[in-house]
Amino acid sequence: MPDTSTGVVVIGGGSTGAGVLRDLALRGIDAILVEKGDLASGTTGRSHGLLHSGGRYCVNDLAAAIECVEEGRILRRIAKTTVEDTGGYFVSVSPGDEAWEPRFVDGCKKAGITCERISVEEARRREPALSTQVRTVFWVPEDGHLDPFYLVIGNVESARRRGAQVRTYTEVTGFVKNGNRVAGVISRDTVTGEETTIGCQAVINATGAWAGFVARLLDVEVKVVPVKGVMVVLSRRLAHAAINRCHKPGDGDIVVPGLSVAILGTTAVKVAHPEVLPIESDEVRLLIEEGAKMLDGVTTARAMRAYAGVRPLYDLGAQAEGREMSRNFAVIDHEERDGIAGFASIVGGKVTTYRLMAERVTDLVARRLGVTTPCTTADVPLNDREDEMDQLRHRPAQLGVPKPHGEELALQPLLCECELVRPQDVEPWVTDPAVRTLEDLRRRTRAGMGPCQAAVCSYRLAGRLVTDRGLDGRTATRAMADFLETRWRGVRHVFWGSQLRQAQVTAGLHLELFNVDRQLQFEGDDPRRPSLFTVPADVEAVGQP
Amino acid sequence: MRCDIAVVGSGLAALVATRTLQRAGRDPVLIWPGLSSLYFLYATVDVLGYANATTAQPVEQPVTGVRQLIADHPDHPYARAGLAALQDGSSLLLEWLREAGFNWQGTLAHNLLLPTATGTPKPSCLVPTSMVAGDLQRDEPIAFCGFDGYQDFIPELAASNLSRAWNGGRRTVTAVRVPVPGIKPDRLLTSIDLARSFEDANFRRDVAGRLRRAVRNDGARLGLPAVLGLTHDADVHAEFEKESGRPVFEIPTLPPSVLGLRLFDRLRRHIQETGVEMIWAAPAHQAEVANGRCLRIHLKSAGREQPVEARAFILAVEDAVDGAWRAGVQTVRDPFFHRLLAQHANPTERTDESLFQPQPFAAIGYPVSDRLQPIDEDGRPLASNVFVAGGAIAGYDPAGIKARGGMAVATGYRAAQEAMAA
Repeated sequence: MPDTSTGVVVIGGGSTGAGVLRDLALRGIDAILVEKGDLASGTTGRSHGLLHSGGRYCVNDLAAAIECVEEGRILRRIAKTTVEDTGGYFVSVSPGDEAWEPRFVDGCKKAGITCERISVEEARRREPALSTQVRTVFWVPEDGHLDPFYLVIGNVESARRRGAQVRTYTEVTGFVKNGNRVAGVISRDTVTGEETTIGCQAVINATGAWAGFVARLLDVEVKVVPVKGVMVVLSRRLAHAAINRCHKPGDGDIVVPGLSVAILGTTAVKVAHPEVLPIESDEVRLLIEEGAKMLDGVTTARAMRAYAGVRPLYDLGAQAEGREMSRNFAVIDHEERDGIAGFASIVGGKVTTYRLMAERVTDLVARRLGVTTPCTTADVPLNDREDEMDQLRHRPAQLGVPKPHGEELALQPLLCECELVRPQDVEPWVTDPAVRTLEDLRRRTRAGMGPCQAAVCSYRLAGRLVTDRGLDGRTATRAMADFLETRWRGVRHVFWGSQLRQAQVTAGLHLELFNVDRQLQFEGDDPRRPSLFTVPADVEAVGQP
Repeated sequence: MRCDIAVVGSGLAALVATRTLQRAGRDPVLIWPGLSSLYFLYATVDVLGYANATTAQPVEQPVTGVRQLIADHPDHPYARAGLAALQDGSSLLLEWLREAGFNWQGTLAHNLLLPTATGTPKPSCLVPTSMVAGDLQRDEPIAFCGFDGYQDFIPELAASNLSRAWNGGRRTVTAVRVPVPGIKPDRLLTSIDLARSFEDANFRRDVAGRLRRAVRNDGARLGLPAVLGLTHDADVHAEFEKESGRPVFEIPTLPPSVLGLRLFDRLRRHIQETGVEMIWAAPAHQAEVANGRCLRIHLKSAGREQPVEARAFILAVEDAVDGAWRAGVQTVRDPFFHRLLAQHANPTERTDESLFQPQPFAAIGYPVSDRLQPIDEDGRPLASNVFVAGGAIAGYDPAGIKARGGMAVATGYRAAQEAMAA
């Protein structure tokens, strides 16, 4: 007997799983999403946040490019508040790049990407930081910045309002089968270890780079190639728009400005396991060197942290490797392919096309369940209720509130000054049972993502855990220490220049003014081993964004 | 410009060195590069809180602890400075604080155990009188007091932690909050706002009245965030104790830390008012050495470089906090002699994987002689008339042993003595 029952279990709380959950909910299908960590804690939350115009793929991967064009336009309609409409540039800085230009222009035309060549002078007028090495500039207005955390939370909240359920820190450890039909999943709470069986009619495996591990529980193979990408966060934006190198996609060829920071991307290294993502100093150096070819100030801006994510590339059987592999996606109907009914996997793809991926796999599962309600996710906005703005905890900038030097906001308290997070942005999440660590709170509010890397807000948030959530001081202090440690793991990779000053202040505050090292010691809490109300060690990957 | 002795730095080591020179009748110039740890990280002068970075046992007698540390680690900055420099420097500092209008107390013979903003007991040596009533070696119960809408001190967090840590949980610790008179709850409230308000007698009386009603336990001491006045803090504290009818103690908060601000502001103002020339916000670099002596250093003042000639130089720059070191991806160099202070294949080597462990980067600095001169690989001084104080000394890591103030005082005082003799 299952402990609970639903129509469909969605495994994976990234953008794809969240999109699937919402799609199911909009079609009136009962669903539960299970995620072994926090929402957006895997690939989605470690992306660089580029909303692809398709320009990066239009030469080598036309199908993926066309999807990006359409999905980008849809997202600007349905997920307006998660998108910063920056536009983008493709810039040539070498003769090799110039040779790529005709192919790029041709690709844009074929994919339907708006692309306009502008003079370097005009480009520099718009983006004064463009480097002197830049020879040619194309304006691609449909590149943008997509906040991956808000996207996932927005989808999940929209689905929850329609009755869908979400269980984070819940790992699928097995399946219940009825003959050749999947009849449920066995899940384990990764904090308490408690096992639960969820009965269902179908399971959708939306675990991206982890899809092979989930499929193996049913003795079927899904070949996903995990390809690591390292990114560096700079403490300033440097540019208004996304800056892409106009060449065959390679390492370190994109700078994505988002809110107050810029992210340098990225590398591509095939890895053995999606959770073992070491950040090499050579990768960090390369990102900075390559970024500096396109933008001045990349070498002198303060690098705040480095982090690594993993692309879930699907092996379509071609001979390609790593970046050469398609960014396209595939729906795997395991009933047809492996004779296992009630199980489907969605693999490959990217955050920009999450909605389409969700639509395709939901189409399949809905058909099998005999549900004929069509997909409406391209039309119904995420913000489909009046209180949605509030639900999504929009950043002050998006509410049109003046920046801190404007009078109105200057008088309002901020819980995290770096990211302009107000107490009311944090309050609803502090008591949300899905929030188990301060990192979870960060993903929902951006608190702690700015230049001080939680040195200040971690104390205030620990206070909230005591006053609002009723945790004891020990647990709250431990959560604060874990938060700082997670931030520290990213800071360490860019430990030069003025970063030393910040680190000295952070360490001085917590070790000297607060004596937190002795507090942890007194309680026997080793901050190198996260625990308690926090993430178990095996979920923790290297270098969170 | 030309001067007797040039002191470069804006932390406590630089101030103590300058004051030592001033008291000895010399004519120092203080070259002040910018904000220092004094502003961010100071509340008390901690001399030695723990014998090493990992022990849980606080040091009871700092002077005995430092003597032992010197015996065990002859290369430690305390050993280079010497116990006498710590003792004489501390006396000089306390006298200076008094003269500058501060009310401080403490002796090297004894550590207080004061609760921090996380409710953690911390050993401190020389402290503002406004913090003394927090000593956990006293028995009275404690009520931590916070303010509605003020986020930089959380009484509930402090109370919960301290009630476990203090004497095995056998003491009473409570938390209360009161609204801030006359301030709307949706307004940004910083420590400085509150400190300014506390200078007002009506405000103070109002808060005292609210706290008298909120704290039920008659025997309790009141632990408040350090916001009891910005410039008249000694009076504010005394009067607030009278008005609330209980012992009151301040607790250092997140920056802006009023305790650090008071020190930072008034010490440098006092030193200026008593005739020491200060050059503001001018990072110094480039030592010109001839015949084993430094002739001049250069200031990056607005628009042009300005040379400063002196008979002796004290480099009391604070490694990381004031950005003195030139920290590249693989090398760390000093700005005066361009010495390679550290080299790393990977910048991660500069840190421990945990923030709460001793950090290799903190120890980066000039190797120094027994006279605190920066030395080369063979132990020869880079210049016989240059002396180093504070965080710029190699192996200087006060965080784990809680010795930031004491190490600054000892090395600042000693460097000044050596500079006068040079």
